[in-house]
Amino acid sequence: MDTIDPVTPGMRAIGAPRADVLAAIVVAALAAASCTVLVAVTSDHISEPGVHAGLQVWGILSFVLAGVVAWWRRPESRFGVLMVLAGAAWFLSTLSSANLAVPYTLGLVFDLVPAVAFLHVVLAFPSGRLERPFELALVGTGYVTALGVHTVGMTLGGFGPDNLLSLASWESPSHWLENAELIVLSGLSLTGVIVLVFRRRNAGRPLRRSLALLVDAFALALVMIAFLFLSAVFGLVSGETPFETIRRATFFFVGLAPLVFLVGLLHARLARSAVGGLMVELRDNPTPGDLRDALSRAVRDPSLTLVYWLPEFGTYAGLDGRPAQLSAEDSGRAMTLIDRDGVPVAALLHDPSLEDEPELLAAATAGAGIALEHARLHVELRARLEELRGSRARMVDVANKERQRLERDLHDGAQQRLIALSLDLSLLGEELAGETDLKDRLTRAREEIAASLAELREIARGIHPAVVSGHGLGIALEQLAALAPVAVRLTVQTHGRLPEAVEVAAYYLVCESLANVGRYAQASTATVDVSRENGSVLIEVTDDGIGGADTERGSGLRGIADRVEALDGRLRVWSPAGGGTRIRAEIPCAP
Amino acid sequence: MRAVIAEDSLLLREGVAGLLRAADVDVVGCCQTADDLMLKVRSYSPDVAIVDIRLPPTHQDEGLRAALEIRADHPAVGVLVLSQYVEVGLALKLFAETADGAGYLLKDRISDVSDFVAAVRRIAEGGSAIDPIIVSTLVSRRRDNDPLSALTPREREVLVLMAEGRSNQGIADRLVITLRAVEKYVSSIFGKLGLPSAGSDSRRVLAVLLYLRS
Repeated sequence: MDTIDPVTPGMRAIGAPRADVLAAIVVAALAAASCTVLVAVTSDHISEPGVHAGLQVWGILSFVLAGVVAWWRRPESRFGVLMVLAGAAWFLSTLSSANLAVPYTLGLVFDLVPAVAFLHVVLAFPSGRLERPFELALVGTGYVTALGVHTVGMTLGGFGPDNLLSLASWESPSHWLENAELIVLSGLSLTGVIVLVFRRRNAGRPLRRSLALLVDAFALALVMIAFLFLSAVFGLVSGETPFETIRRATFFFVGLAPLVFLVGLLHARLARSAVGGLMVELRDNPTPGDLRDALSRAVRDPSLTLVYWLPEFGTYAGLDGRPAQLSAEDSGRAMTLIDRDGVPVAALLHDPSLEDEPELLAAATAGAGIALEHARLHVELRARLEELRGSRARMVDVANKERQRLERDLHDGAQQRLIALSLDLSLLGEELAGETDLKDRLTRAREEIAASLAELREIARGIHPAVVSGHGLGIALEQLAALAPVAVRLTVQTHGRLPEAVEVAAYYLVCESLANVGRYAQASTATVDVSRENGSVLIEVTDDGIGGADTERGSGLRGIADRVEALDGRLRVWSPAGGGTRIRAEIPCAP
Repeated sequence: MRAVIAEDSLLLREGVAGLLRAADVDVVGCCQTADDLMLKVRSYSPDVAIVDIRLPPTHQDEGLRAALEIRADHPAVGVLVLSQYVEVGLALKLFAETADGAGYLLKDRISDVSDFVAAVRRIAEGGSAIDPIIVSTLVSRRRDNDPLSALTPREREVLVLMAEGRSNQGIADRLVITLRAVEKYVSSIFGKLGLPSAGSDSRRVLAVLLYLRS
């Protein structure tokens, strides 16, 4: 089985950022925002500079500040850094409002980058990395288009006299190229939306709420970017004012997305109050099953699985004590290890989005500490029982096989030889015409052989009922019923053969039960019923005798109970004084 | 009379073939597996097939299945099943529809050479043979208000021999009484047990078998 690598998967060793670095970024962002405002209000080529500047500042600060908070709270994720960089790109793009040629050109170069940076942020959520090659290609194409192709386009001319990169004056090709860039970027944005939809579907279970909210906000903003670009190219809306309205709305929504992330973060903080509820629930000494449910509620992940570490077995196990089949790469689940004083206790398999709320996980698992240790002991006990059951089943199986082999040896060896010998003696006798005395002695010898064969048959049958494995339980029980010391009504409804171990156990059960009827019950009739229902085989033997059977009497029934229990079955005996005896076994058996 | 034998023990296969040949039975084929047996039955159309109930490869129920297949597909071929264990359940399965041309004997019986050859001949001619142990198990089976207790000891003897598949003449020879006396006992037994008087010997066997089973 796969054991879990005792290192939390996906853990990245990035230290928390220093506070002065974060403070410097905030100061820089404020300075950049001021710069943007200054450039806008002094610009000679934009209309309504106030509104324009307000939206730009909204976007820049939204990304940078949300990025700083994310970086601070989630240092192990690159997401915060990525958001800060996206905010920086946004700032650079606002320089296109400047009157001076150098910042104007720089702003133009970065004009389209914020859209790609936004796509990058969306697809890299929540780890800050692009996990799949396709996503990497999508974002890479975006950057090449927005920076590379765009810069080349600027060398062709256009973009006014202040375009320092202009080497020619092919305005028309330059314009066509820009349109092509916008179409490509729209396509990339819409593809990004499709990726998000697929991710959500492939998760196969409802994503946790904060994540779902975030994805929706991102998807909406991506669609708006695509619409904005396409309407710029194809003039989907007529007139300057509606276009400007779309532009502003898009800026507003793109700037909103990082705030949604912040809301998600605050939500996680609020969720920690649910841990308080967990503590209250755990005070009532919950069962191990309730513990999982309580933890699941506290961290709001219905898919949560709890497995316990069993040092003796060197594996993790579920509540049933059976080894948990999981690996570190277990189909998109994330894992958190729980230990007490450095000793592993359990592991949580949960939705990967919970990795973004490590405090919540830590608080919940810390709160469940004692209860977890308690549950672990419970699971360890179950695992030992499971192991015992397995070894008992194996022992019965080995014994069955050995008995079967012995019976075969008898059948193929001694029995056949004795029959052949008897035949030889018989043929010899026929040649001894007239010698009566010798013939009599030969006849007596043959009778001895016949008696030996009869004894061997009984012994062989006692060792292993070959009829059961050869012809099934129904046929074998006919003989038991016919030989029984009382009248027996036999009903066998098994709908075909059963597993051999089950048939053999059922055969011995009926055999021993009917023998007991003869020995103790003083009964006149008995019934034997074998039936299948709900994935089990039911074997019931009843008699109308005096009852009062001692279930521990003799080793016979005890041995039968062992066989039944080794097959995960149960044997029960009812034997009220004067009320007959009823023996009933139920053995699990897949239909 | 033509016979085929399917038996995986060389010792017994040769033994049975030898004693049949000595009794002027034409042994047209000997084999060890059920598949081979079916091939020989199809090719030679023997009068009787003598089949070990445990045949390779698994030694489980290959022999019985081959016997039932011959009974179903080649009704003209008599089938004698030999076994080292005698089971009421197997007899009931083999004789489920008819006892015509069928037999089920303990392997030990081959050493009673004349009886064995007689049983093989009977089966080849459409009669039947049931091992005495099966019959005695069924006869001594406990019943509520056992109707067999109404039979006289002599009638019980006749019932047993009848159930084994013997003809009236066979019963008469065995008990050293006249044929007429056997007929009297038989009609008395059928009367006491409330059985309709059956036609052929093997139909009589089935009637008695089913009666004894219940």
